[in-house]
Parts: sequence; C-alpha cells; structure tokens
Amino acid sequence: MAEQALNTAVGPAQKTQTASGALSGAFMPRVITGFAILLTWELVVRAFAPAYVAKPTTVILAIPKVITEPAFLQALGSSLAAVAEGLAITIVIGTVLGLLMGRSTTFDRIFRVHINFFNAMPMIVVLPLFSLWFGYSSAARIATIIFAAIFAITMNVADGARSVPREYLEVSRSFRSGRLRMLTDIVLPASMPYLLAGFRLAAGRALIGAVVAEFFLSVGGIGYYILYNSRSYHHNEAFVGVLLLAAFGVSFELTVNWATRRFMPWYRRDEKTT
Amino acid sequence: MATSAVRSAPASQVAKGEPRIRVRGLGKRYGTLEVFRNIDFDVGEREIVAIVGPSGCGKTTLLRCIDGLLPHDAGEIRVGDERVTEPIAGVAMVFQHFGLFPWKTVFENVAYGLRMAGAPKSEIERRVPEFIKLVGLSGFESAFPYQMSGGMQQRCGLARALAVEPNVLLMDEPFAAVDAQTREILQFELLHIWEQRPTAMIFVTHSIEEAVLLGHRVIVLKGRPSSIHETITIDLPNPRTRDTLREPRFAELREQVWGTLMREAREAEFHLER
Repeated sequence: MAEQALNTAVGPAQKTQTASGALSGAFMPRVITGFAILLTWELVVRAFAPAYVAKPTTVILAIPKVITEPAFLQALGSSLAAVAEGLAITIVIGTVLGLLMGRSTTFDRIFRVHINFFNAMPMIVVLPLFSLWFGYSSAARIATIIFAAIFAITMNVADGARSVPREYLEVSRSFRSGRLRMLTDIVLPASMPYLLAGFRLAAGRALIGAVVAEFFLSVGGIGYYILYNSRSYHHNEAFVGVLLLAAFGVSFELTVNWATRRFMPWYRRDEKTT
Repeated sequence: MATSAVRSAPASQVAKGEPRIRVRGLGKRYGTLEVFRNIDFDVGEREIVAIVGPSGCGKTTLLRCIDGLLPHDAGEIRVGDERVTEPIAGVAMVFQHFGLFPWKTVFENVAYGLRMAGAPKSEIERRVPEFIKLVGLSGFESAFPYQMSGGMQQRCGLARALAVEPNVLLMDEPFAAVDAQTREILQFELLHIWEQRPTAMIFVTHSIEEAVLLGHRVIVLKGRPSSIHETITIDLPNPRTRDTLREPRFAELREQVWGTLMREAREAEFHLER
C-alpha cells in the first residue's frame, strides 16, 4: 500500500523553471534592444541638448557619487520607511475589510459603493485636503500612501474571499468550525493568491503615492530628492534616483515571486488535483 | 417499501447494534423543486447502509442533510439522542472531491477536525500519525495535496474523518473521483478499517457493485421527487473480501439491485417519450 502510494507520488521539484522562464529566452534580442535605446538617448542628447541634460554615460558616472551621498541615503531611507509603514497598515486594514466584504453581503453592500467612489478618485486630488489635515508632514505622506494602496488590496481580497471554493467551506462547517475561525483558517489562506495580486498592485501604488506626496508637500524623501536635483540642473543625480525607484519596483516583484514559491508551494498547482 | 430478506444465512446476521441514525419522514425542497420526500430509515451502530439511485435523485443532498450541512423541510433526523439541524459532534463526512485544503500538509489536513474539536496539542501529535498510518500514508505527513494522486488524497480525506473518532461516517461517493484499480483497493481497505473500528456508516454511491460489496443493506432511491423504492438486505458473509466478488450470491444481489434501478430508469424514459 505504501509502495503503491510512493509510485503515484509526484515530486515537488517540478516546474521550478517557470520562474526563471521570464528571464530566459530571446536573451540577445533583449540586450540589443536595450543598448539601442541607450545609444539613441546618448546620441540625441549629445547632438541637440545642452551639457547639463542627463545622458547614459554621465548618469552611470554619477552613480557612485550619489549612492554614497548622505543626503541621498537619508532621502531613500525616509521614503522606503514610509512606504513600508504605509503598506503594513494598508495590508492589515485592507485585508480585514476585504474579508468582511467578501463573506458578508451586508458588509459588501455597506462598503462597496464608497470604495468604488474613492477608488475612482485620482490620488493627486486628495493631496490638498491631506496637506490641510496633516500639514506638510510625513503623516500626510503616509496618508497618501494608504489612500493610494488600500483599495487594490481590499478589492482583491474581497474577490478572493467571495470565490473560495464552496467545498472548503462545507468541509469547514462539517467539522464544526466557528464563523471567525473559518475566516482565519480557510477564507484567508484560500484568498492568499488574490491577496498577493493585490499586494503587488498596492506596492506599486504606494511607491507612486510616496513620490507624489513628496513632490507636492515637499516632504524629504527620494521623490523630493529627484525634484530638487532636476530643478537645480543636477539631472544626472535626479536620474540615479529614478533608476533606483525602478530597481526597487523590479526587486520587489522578484521578492514577492520568490516568497510565493518558497512559502506557498501549493499555489497554482492545486488546479490539477481536482 | 419492500424489504426482501431472501435468505437468512447466519453469516448475514450482523450485530448492527441499536439504531444510531434515525431518519423519519424526511423531506427536502429547493424552492419549488421537491428533491425527496418521506424518507424513513435507520442505521445501526455497527452497520453500513449504501444508498444508490440514478444521478440527480438527491443522494448527496440527503447525505448533506444528515450531516447538518443543509436544512431539511420536513421530518427529522436523529443521531443518537440529538436532533440534527447543523453539523454535530461524532459525525464525520468524506467528500467526493476530497475537500482537502491545498495550503495544508497531510498532517495539517488530518489534524483539522481535531483542532476544530479543540483537542490539545499533545493529543493531536499522538493521534494524527496514528491515523495517517492507518490509511497507509506514513511518510507523507509533510506532503501537500498537489503532490499526491487522487487515491492518496482520498486516503488523507478518510484519515481526517476517522481522526475525530466519529460514531457516524458519511461517505459521499468517496471513490467516484479515483481510477478503477485504486477504487477497488480503497474499497477493501475501507472495509478492513471498518472491521477494526466499526461505526454507523452511510455510503452514497452510483456504483451498484460498490453498494452491494460494502453495504449490509442497500437503499434504492427513485422517482421525482425521490423516495425509498426498496431496501435490499445484503446477506453476504462478513467480513467481505475479494472472494465476495466471486460468490454467486453477490452476482444475484447485484442483478437484483440493477433490475430495480433499471426498471425505474426505463419507466422514466417511457414517461419522457409520452
């Protein structure tokens, strides 16, 4: 019996190549395209623009100077800390709200219309209001981050909680689970894929929220650093900041992908079991 | 309700014990659609009752009512002294599509019922491996459902139900979703486990052969709305083994159930043609 079981077992180490699959394939065309873009940029700036306009060669040369500059590091730290803090608050509130909306029609009816209303609002329009409420402060920045990010999480978790397979809920009821435990033990893990999708979206929006808040409220941070340097004709320095933001976005994506494979090995594989 | 105890061989006199489940005048409707009516039967403390019927006759609905997952509209269900209106302790169900939680390992899936029953940690750590072993899944404690074949997944589902040491087991076409050979293996293993830990068991299936092999009695549901058409006592010697399949009496009983079901099916077709 055990042998039979062993024979039919499928090894867990399959399908790991899908993650790297996004990076492999058509490698040379990609590199060539990348170089072509950089080369065009370089040549156009050299031919038509004044010397202070950033071009690839000068940006690269500025990197070592910028990333050792205390002002830059402080700005970066300040922004990332704000994004992390805002996202942490967002995940907790957004998930709880999403679970309640997904599993209770009453909650859904109460909140859905308002959330759609706020979600449709461009985050920039609330900035004057937030600056009045919170002053030109990092509190206003956190508020902007939360406002920018929370609906992505709530809407996704609500969708996830609504689409939990009925069978899981039946099993849970059959074993006499209470309503609250069903929410934490079954609905939340079953909604994890949706929560992650929402989290990715929310992280991008949180970063935008932080930068936009810094632009408009002059709160110290990477956004303000970019703004300040472009206004004072330090285009190369400003560009290093932009590159770092992009790198942050990419590395966040990679981290989430890694964490999904590491901590949710069952995700996307459960389909073939039924 | 014709009860045909054709022969009363001593071997067929199972020590059923006192009735554990009593179903009286049970009726269920979905809106205007009446699923079944006037269902009356008992299941002894140590008796397996198989329920067969054409697809859509409400077998699974009946089982869900007995588990307390669905409300019934008429009559009553008693398990022991308790009236069933919601899932009660001491009753466990095995689901057709296994109903395993994909984010939980075999160990955690089997432990689920015990955790919901509030069992202390020490008891879970002692009992879960015991039941994993009983169903032949030792060594797979930390495997996830997606890593296992259908047969292994249902072993896990069975262990989860057995782990709460129920005195009533409800089986909802548990082997319908596994391949034919595995199904046969699992049938005999189930019988073997049942011999060691006899309970009251209701086994819903659409396989006549399975019903006759496992059941001490076979209930045939028929009609729209369906009701009990016939209860056939299966007077085959116990314990049932592979040899049982070769007995002439087994073939006779299978034909008898088959005849009952087919007559019904033919009548239904005849009805449609008119």
